[in-house]
Amino acid sequence: MPESSLSITTSCILSLEMPYSERLCIRRTVYRGGNGPRVAIVAGIHGDELEGLYVCQLLADWLERMARENPAGLTGTVELYPAMNPLGLDTLTRAIPVFDTDLNRNFPGSPSGDLPKRIAHAAIGNLSGAALVIDIHASNIYLREIPQVRINTDFADRLVPLAQRLNLDLIWLHGAMTVLEATVAHSLNSVGTPCLVVEMGVGMRITPDYCRQLMTGILTLWKDLGVLAPDVELPSLNHLPLIADDSNVHYLNAPTSGLFVPVIEHWTDVRKGQLLGNIVSPLQGGILAEVRSPVDGILFTLREYPLVYEGSLMARVMARKGRLA
Amino acid sequence: MSSRDLVLMTAPLREDFTIPCHEIGPAAGNPAVSFVSGLHGDEINGIYILARLADFLTAVEEGAYPKLRLAQRVLIIPAVNVLGANTLRRAWPFDQSDQNRMFPGNQMGETTQRIAYTVLEATKKSAYRVDLHGSNLYFEELPQVRLYDPTPEERETARLFGLPAIMERSVSPVFTTTLMYSWKYWPGQSFLLQVGQAGSIQLPHCQQVFRGLVAFLGRIGVLEGVEVAEADQEALYFTRECSVRIYADRAGMFVSDKTLGGWVSKGQELGYIYDSFNGAVRTRVTAPAAGLLTGIRRQPMLFEGDLLVRICTR
Ligand SMILES: [Zn+2]
Ligand SMILES: [Zn+2]
Repeated sequence: MPESSLSITTSCILSLEMPYSERLCIRRTVYRGGNGPRVAIVAGIHGDELEGLYVCQLLADWLERMARENPAGLTGTVELYPAMNPLGLDTLTRAIPVFDTDLNRNFPGSPSGDLPKRIAHAAIGNLSGAALVIDIHASNIYLREIPQVRINTDFADRLVPLAQRLNLDLIWLHGAMTVLEATVAHSLNSVGTPCLVVEMGVGMRITPDYCRQLMTGILTLWKDLGVLAPDVELPSLNHLPLIADDSNVHYLNAPTSGLFVPVIEHWTDVRKGQLLGNIVSPLQGGILAEVRSPVDGILFTLREYPLVYEGSLMARVMARKGRLA
Repeated sequence: MSSRDLVLMTAPLREDFTIPCHEIGPAAGNPAVSFVSGLHGDEINGIYILARLADFLTAVEEGAYPKLRLAQRVLIIPAVNVLGANTLRRAWPFDQSDQNRMFPGNQMGETTQRIAYTVLEATKKSAYRVDLHGSNLYFEELPQVRLYDPTPEERETARLFGLPAIMERSVSPVFTTTLMYSWKYWPGQSFLLQVGQAGSIQLPHCQQVFRGLVAFLGRIGVLEGVEVAEADQEALYFTRECSVRIYADRAGMFVSDKTLGGWVSKGQELGYIYDSFNGAVRTRVTAPAAGLLTGIRRQPMLFEGDLLVRICTR
């Protein structure tokens, strides 16, 4: 039997001149084991979302330990793309700086367009054909989310069975929206490369428990797909997803402006009419508005950034509708 | 009173928040024409043009121009993104969302969705709807009418603004959340005017568009008594195919002394890309075809692939 090996290489998938002196480089690390399937993790498409960066680090650490202790355990290839929008991450900007455009509205991109289009094109070129791509997002700076997968119903048949193995708490099915056609997930799923979109945590922070929870799911899926050898030991799954769609998700938008102060923990069961928080004014005592749950359910989105304008989303409550069989 | 508050809502720490608008002319039915600008708070040309138009039409109503008469009502919203206009931000400053990606909006949704809903409700029943934009901080646009998958009537009406160029575009997926796109579901005609560059006022562009809007109101019969010169300049009609674009083949610093609206010949020098560290010329930018110079990069710091110049060929 040939001696098994696990190679680790870091390279640029796109290198581009910047206006003054520097070069921009989109970096990835590739872990190559056997001839099995190729999978990829994408993060940092939004420059204010950091949870996925830590997931990449946890996976890199795990894979490096594999390289030392059990190189034959990697039977396929793993690609980590932790920072698709490095300028955004450098400047604490959600969009791509200067271009002021959301990278995730620029797919599939083009090889000769402006910077966002080129990043998108390079990403699609490298990710297409993978057995599975997971695109990790961290909500935004305003809202905290439980670990969840968001799936366009157009692709539900193929993606839901994968998503159920990801060790997350929620699968949220949403209808097709034209505006989302320009996302990396839609572009990949359209060409037959399965791509799961994970949303979890909150912008500009990391939630280590969520990152480890997702890591367990990712490794499990990789083993299912044959990227990891059957004898590789993994922690067992300890989360089963609930299902949400337009029929059981209730949005709580602020009826007035002020400071939203929650009185309840995120990701807890709530009763209809239960107080979730108050809107108060820093200019006066008392309470401007009480925020109460419209249904029996689970509080799965909770505002993290306290200032609200009329209409600002403060929370989402999901009525239970069971789990997928 | 010719102005009212289109949107009135509380603010967390300031005075209550309003989006004021002008309603000028006979008060019957829906406004015949709706003008909107400042969906992007840094596009000041449009805000200036519509504020001046409101001043002019108010003066007409008050009898300052005895030969002129407003036959139908006109609605004017100089700035939708009021907080952005006051803080020089393109997006809605509170949550960085693009107000022109929130249509058709939602009465019960996010703040910008509520604003979008109200703006659409106020304007959608007008026979003519005009949305003024000012490109962005980087690129200067020759005043032009933009048509997106237009009807034959809109193609004809577009000429009534008397602007130097009419440009036709097809609808992209992202465009489906704009005010222009939402207007299309309603009877009537919709136009987007691109004017100059964001962040400052380019007075000649503004004067040209102001005259164009007055001529337009005259030609559609909303403002009676306007003398429109017979020999008004003929608008040039450009589809996507007659636009030639020059992109930066290198990063660096783009410098040009050209002004928009002139005709250039093939091979004519338009500017230089310099290495912004050592100052060496990297590229001498020349016109690949003869045509009208309709757009040019003004923010000099280039990434490779950035749009430098647009020339429209006959
Ligand atoms: Zn994101
Ligand atoms: Zn604009």
